Amino acid sequence: MESFDVIVIGAGVIGSSVAYHLVKKGLDVALIEKGGIAAGTSSRCDAVALICDKKPGIDTEIGYASIQLFKQLAQELSVDFEFSSRGSLYVCETERELEIAQGYVADQVRDGYDMRMVDPHELLDIEPYLAPDLAGGIWTEADSSMNPYKLCYAFVEEGKKLGLKVFDYHAVSEIQRDVQGKIERVVTDRGTFKTRKIVNCAGVWSPKIAGMVGIEIPIVPRKGIVLITEKTSKQITRQKVHEFGYMLSKFEDIHFKRNVSELVEKHNVAFTIEPTDAHNFLVGGHRAFKGFDIRSEIDVMQAIAERALRFLPVLRDLNCIRAYAGVRPWVPDHLPIVSEVEEVPGFFIASGHEGDGISMSPITGKMVAQLITGEPTDFNIDKLNFSRYKKSNAV
Amino acid sequence: MKSMRVQEHPILGNSEKKEAVTIYFDGKPYTAYTGDTVASALLASGVRTLRKHEETASPRGIYCNIGHCFECRVQLNGSETVRACLTTVADGMYVTSLTLPKGASI
Amino acid sequence: MIDLLIVGAGPAGLRAAIAAAENGLHVSIIDEFVKPGGRLLGQLHEEPDGSWVNGVEEAERMYHRAIQLGVEISTGVSVYDLAETPAGWSIYTTDGVRESRCLLLATGASETPIPIPGWTLPGVMSIGAAQVMGNVHRVKPGHKGVVIGVNVLSVAIAREMQLCGVTVDRIVLPAHNLISADASNPEKMMESLLRLSHLAPSSLMKIGGKFVSPKLAARFYPRNGFKIWGIPIQLRKTALEIIGEEQVRGVRIAAISATGSVIPGTEEIVDADFVCIAGGLTPMAELAAVAGCRFHYVPQLGGHVPLHNERMQTTLKGLYVAGNITGVESAKVAGAQGRVAGLSIADELGVLSAAGKEKIKEAVDQTVHTRKHALIQFNQGIEEARHALYTEFQQLTDKKISV
Repeated sequence: MESFDVIVIGAGVIGSSVAYHLVKKGLDVALIEKGGIAAGTSSRCDAVALICDKKPGIDTEIGYASIQLFKQLAQELSVDFEFSSRGSLYVCETERELEIAQGYVADQVRDGYDMRMVDPHELLDIEPYLAPDLAGGIWTEADSSMNPYKLCYAFVEEGKKLGLKVFDYHAVSEIQRDVQGKIERVVTDRGTFKTRKIVNCAGVWSPKIAGMVGIEIPIVPRKGIVLITEKTSKQITRQKVHEFGYMLSKFEDIHFKRNVSELVEKHNVAFTIEPTDAHNFLVGGHRAFKGFDIRSEIDVMQAIAERALRFLPVLRDLNCIRAYAGVRPWVPDHLPIVSEVEEVPGFFIASGHEGDGISMSPITGKMVAQLITGEPTDFNIDKLNFSRYKKSNAV
Repeated sequence: MKSMRVQEHPILGNSEKKEAVTIYFDGKPYTAYTGDTVASALLASGVRTLRKHEETASPRGIYCNIGHCFECRVQLNGSETVRACLTTVADGMYVTSLTLPKGASI
Repeated sequence: MIDLLIVGAGPAGLRAAIAAAENGLHVSIIDEFVKPGGRLLGQLHEEPDGSWVNGVEEAERMYHRAIQLGVEISTGVSVYDLAETPAGWSIYTTDGVRESRCLLLATGASETPIPIPGWTLPGVMSIGAAQVMGNVHRVKPGHKGVVIGVNVLSVAIAREMQLCGVTVDRIVLPAHNLISADASNPEKMMESLLRLSHLAPSSLMKIGGKFVSPKLAARFYPRNGFKIWGIPIQLRKTALEIIGEEQVRGVRIAAISATGSVIPGTEEIVDADFVCIAGGLTPMAELAAVAGCRFHYVPQLGGHVPLHNERMQTTLKGLYVAGNITGVESAKVAGAQGRVAGLSIADELGVLSAAGKEKIKEAVDQTVHTRKHALIQFNQGIEEARHALYTEFQQLTDKKISV
């Protein structure tokens, strides 16, 4: 039976990064995945690392550090994951939104982040195709973009050079523990592996893995549908553009009502668009609780298109060639879980990043490696500890 | 150039006479016949390159001719992207290749 | 709300529409192409008795019969989504949303591309594209061409191009790569070529009849091939690359061994102003997938096909399939399946008399009979593969009922 220092479960962006950072520390690591690399949420998402969609505080702090790490990784990893620091633009539809935005920017600037308000004239200088009647926006320098799918491969391929063993198409069916309750073995449909440490990076599927050691994780799949435009040589936008309401739609506790159609409201749609290296544009965004259903629903697609036309009327001339959907690992308090589980020694969780998995992957991988090797973590991550969920019922 | 039209055919017989129309491709006029698609009319006039690839700028023309492959996409009347193989000609139709000429701005 | 909407105005769709409308159903057909007929358009071949089957004429006959029966046919309309509704199906098209009690997907097949270097050059097209250009639009794909890929379609269409006054210089195999797979192997291609013997009896008897096995035939296959209708079919030559800058200028070919490896020093460039790639056909079943049909992978039928029974019902209520979406076969089989589907739908909607019900069985038998006597056998083992599929369907429905 093969034996490893650590077994990472889930080869999405978080698992790939965790596995990479662990082998970098010189550990013997196996990455086990029920499907292919990046076959789940990491290939069904958009392609950006954002600062501005986080609330001021630890979220922004870690997010910013993570983006800084990307710059280093772009040099370090031999697979090109199409990283670029393009910045991004948030547009406010109304004066009311602009007011909220001003308060938000003031807070973030006070914390030292590179962000500024943009007036309607400058808005059109930056993005000439935007609707001319918008109230203004926020420009953030830090936001970056990349190809998430390639990012997973970049981590995995670099990890393999350092000895990482990848077991894709291996579905974990059982986690065995010794009499003291310590992790002992991971059983898959294609073989059993010995280990003392497991990192659960299974994203929306991590509650199932945790269930194997009697732990309940409050992660719920939150669906998002993205439209793909035909290829075009028109520079519809130069970088990611989103309506400021994107943020407002993300957090249930911000009670802000936009002046939108019933369809857009019903499907919780807020405009986002981003260019890709392939010259197609990705248009979103949408958040809904629909279980694991990842069908592209036509009415949601219509709502996304309708909202996008409000901000970029030029899209009227572009065909939508396809749509795709993924499910984000949502947690009620919008903070990822990154910690060991007290009740089950050797069982770590790195999951629950909702829509921030891509952007948080470098820092998450780095800090999990620090936790496992007993080093101090770059940030105080007590707030990310699993113990915050009292309902856990370890056996 | 020898004609690209199949005028006579041992089994299908001779082509019926059809009404000639003019279509424009990237500003140049071409004669087409009613019932032609943009793709067949341009091929009959010796035009094979319908666009340049958005990234590599390599020339592209028809591939499947029945709408599956989307290789023959062109712009119709300055706005809509259509498949040349599924678009029937009309007199005065204005077709442009999707790639902008070098140096042109949007 | 209409009774039946059919996607695809090919032989299956048209025959289904006729059968359903004859039984009083309100039927509409939509098709993405500029005219009805589907893959019938362009088909042209000689029957063993020397008469010609002209697909364009046959399509026209069916079209007029359908129109006579009140069937509405819209061309140039694409479908982009489907949804099951309490009363039937919603079909989202480029011409608005249509509502129908039953839905028949008769979308046919699409050609499998074989990407080889240079295949994106203008002047390179699928073999079916050349067929439609020549026989439907009456425009030559070029003056002198090379066909890459040896199969039922490529040989038949090469002949049709000749009739259009186009020179087909030769038919060669594609270079070996992950995608071309068997299509680059002379032994495997010899097997498929032998299934063509009815098309060119004398030439193929000469080469195929002489040898006991395709393996031997491939080994002793003359390097310059043999000719059918004057077109050299070169199973021992491979196309390495299509060359040209702005458009096709020629094809770089080389000789290969019986198992497909390139023999060094045999490279040459064949001049051509167009190239056809013939990669075979795959059922075009995307809409069935969108609808949520169960699928099975059946190599004999050309790939993934929606699970269905001999009455052309899928696992979803009110959703039927007919023609090449159920497996790659000839237009005649597709038509026969279409008739079965039309009658089955009439039965589901309760308009068939007792005598009408008898007709379904008859139509099913007719499909089997047509398949057995089809001139063109696309793949081997079709009847057996279908039987297995129908048994699977039956087991699934039995299970559902018992649950």
